[in-house]
Amino acid sequence: MRKNTKWVGFIVLLLVGIALGWGGGAKETTGPKSITLLTWNLPHYADTINQWIKEYQEANKGVTVNWVDKKGTELPTYFQTQLAAGSPPDVVNLQGALWYQYAADGILLDLTPYFQKEPQVKNRFEKNILEAASNFGGKYYMVPFYTPSTVLFYNKILFKEAGITEPPKTMDELVTYAKKLTKGTVSGLITLNFDWLYWPLFRANGVEILTPDRKKAAFNTPAAVQTLKTLAELTASGVISKVSWTGRWAEPNGEFGAGNAGMLHAHITALRAFQSQSKWANDQTIGVAPFPGKWSVPNYHGLGIASKTKHPDVAWGFVRMITSDKWAANTATVLGTLSGNVNADNSIINDPNFAKTHPVVAETFKVALSVAGNLTGMTRSAKDAQIKEAVYTNFQKALLGQIPADQALAEAEKAVNRILAAQ
Amino acid sequence: MSKVNRGRGVLIALFLAPSLLVFTIYRIIPIVWNVVLSFQRWKLIGIPRFVGFSNYLALSQDPVFWESFRNTLYYFFGGTPIAIGAAVVLSLLVNKPLKGRNIYRALIFLPYPITPVAIAIIWKWLYDEKVGLINYVLRSLGLLRESIGFLSSFTWALPSVIFTTIWQSLGYYVILLLAGLQTIPDELYEAAEIDGATGMRKFQWITLPLLKPSLFLCFIVGIMNSFTTFDVIYVMTNGGPGNATEILVTYIYKKAFTFNEIGPAAAMTLILFLFLLVVTMVSNKISGGEAGGVHYYE
Repeated sequence: MRKNTKWVGFIVLLLVGIALGWGGGAKETTGPKSITLLTWNLPHYADTINQWIKEYQEANKGVTVNWVDKKGTELPTYFQTQLAAGSPPDVVNLQGALWYQYAADGILLDLTPYFQKEPQVKNRFEKNILEAASNFGGKYYMVPFYTPSTVLFYNKILFKEAGITEPPKTMDELVTYAKKLTKGTVSGLITLNFDWLYWPLFRANGVEILTPDRKKAAFNTPAAVQTLKTLAELTASGVISKVSWTGRWAEPNGEFGAGNAGMLHAHITALRAFQSQSKWANDQTIGVAPFPGKWSVPNYHGLGIASKTKHPDVAWGFVRMITSDKWAANTATVLGTLSGNVNADNSIINDPNFAKTHPVVAETFKVALSVAGNLTGMTRSAKDAQIKEAVYTNFQKALLGQIPADQALAEAEKAVNRILAAQ
Repeated sequence: MSKVNRGRGVLIALFLAPSLLVFTIYRIIPIVWNVVLSFQRWKLIGIPRFVGFSNYLALSQDPVFWESFRNTLYYFFGGTPIAIGAAVVLSLLVNKPLKGRNIYRALIFLPYPITPVAIAIIWKWLYDEKVGLINYVLRSLGLLRESIGFLSSFTWALPSVIFTTIWQSLGYYVILLLAGLQTIPDELYEAAEIDGATGMRKFQWITLPLLKPSLFLCFIVGIMNSFTTFDVIYVMTNGGPGNATEILVTYIYKKAFTFNEIGPAAAMTLILFLFLLVVTMVSNKISGGEAGGVHYYE
């Protein structure tokens, strides 16, 4: 009997232990606290990240912050395997619309209560940027970290040679200028294509991705057929470089950097990428302007907190510190892109010294801020990745001359509607 | 069972235990777990939900799944027979007492140990439309007027990737076939020569039949490679343009890690596993149940 009681006691203790450990979710635990930060391709930002960690650990005794960095192509896989193993990083840096599905699946912690409790943190951010970077279904899941969006870069040397004095303001001008710039191995225009970055080409012609209720595809319109047809023709004639539809990041930036294109439609972090491999690109020769129609695609980076974290308050405190005015200004300066933090970004934009030493970066900041209210390429759907793939693979077929534009749009529409209808 | 035999059995089991444990942890359990997942809806968090055959049903209605399945078959049938055929020719050549044959053997085998990612990057540049060496050479020789976008063309992308994998795997097939060739006794050829057999006849009636186990081993390795190659395609084309180079493995990866659809990805993995199992069993049966067997002739 006594032996049985011992066993029952042991089992009860075990169950209580499991319940405490298992059901934890996002409940703060006591004792020494350790959190992990997972960043997206930021090894070159190591000095600053180590300073964050030092500052946070000094201000919060007993807290340890670990840092893991993964390349863009590896981060989702790493994050998901950690998640499956039940030990996700507490703070995760996510790019683009990847967080939509994580938010919808309950992988990210709802930060709305934190924003309500600390409105000063929410008010740090430019309203349009915050909504685009964080709001999903009326709740906030991410804190803007750095916020690149698409602009139009142009090669002033090639513009001058072609007799063009200013960047295009309309889609017609864009096409005319691109044709004028095309000569030999030089194409008029290159665009980045991943994460809906090409969408301003369609949005400028009034094409939306989904219906307002996000239940059906909305892009199969006569305007879209015409746009796709025109883009395919321009690609076939070399006015738009084929790499726009076959490359991802390195190839289009490399081609523009090599001086083989007059214009590059890309997000503002591309500046560093093409400048670093270019002989012609400098402060006097690079031009930057809003894309015609002033539409811009955000490719924001945000910081989310895993819903399974054992230390949500510690993680939140760390995120709050990273995105503070001081550190956001540093992020914007070092990474060469807006942080989304109004004070931090304004301090840089209004700094005459910065404008003098980094005129093109300062200009990209101004241009990106000027179009922050005209964002497009956002499905706000948990199935964004699937929709994006279905649309792009079909569009690509038309853009590279494999099938007619109307067929590509019809097939893409069918695929997207099937994805949206699936449970 | 005698005491001695029982003791021997225990000893064998003990020696096998570490390997079997590792095999169970890294192979058997994941396979079983994959089967379970294929009938569930799971978003990497929370409790998985049983959904019956709905993942399989969804796949049957997914055109990309069928396209990737077709591409996988094309990848196999387009690549493996050519690679094995070329390997037979090369292995016959380097099996002859040529001067410097070890150098030739080393050169043929050289691409095989190179990591597939490095190979993919090298060939991506070789194929490049604007600065690629292949286009440059073809243009310089007057064989091309305009460059070919090998990896951006819907027609050329898959054959280009297949050619790369043939180039990489050729050396491995040659090694397997050389091992087979060297087990064929010279006496058989001498006897055939006395009977007046020509080179072609000797190949047809001696080499080929005795090489059958090695050829089937190559065939099975080829099947495995075709159905499990990931890195080369992922780096060279990521399944594009469109879905022109999407094969089952790359699509499984996309489903799981890009779309976060673990159930359908598991279902596809199981389909691939069963398909491979059947093909391998049939191949083994056709080969007389001794694929990869090596005969020693005294």
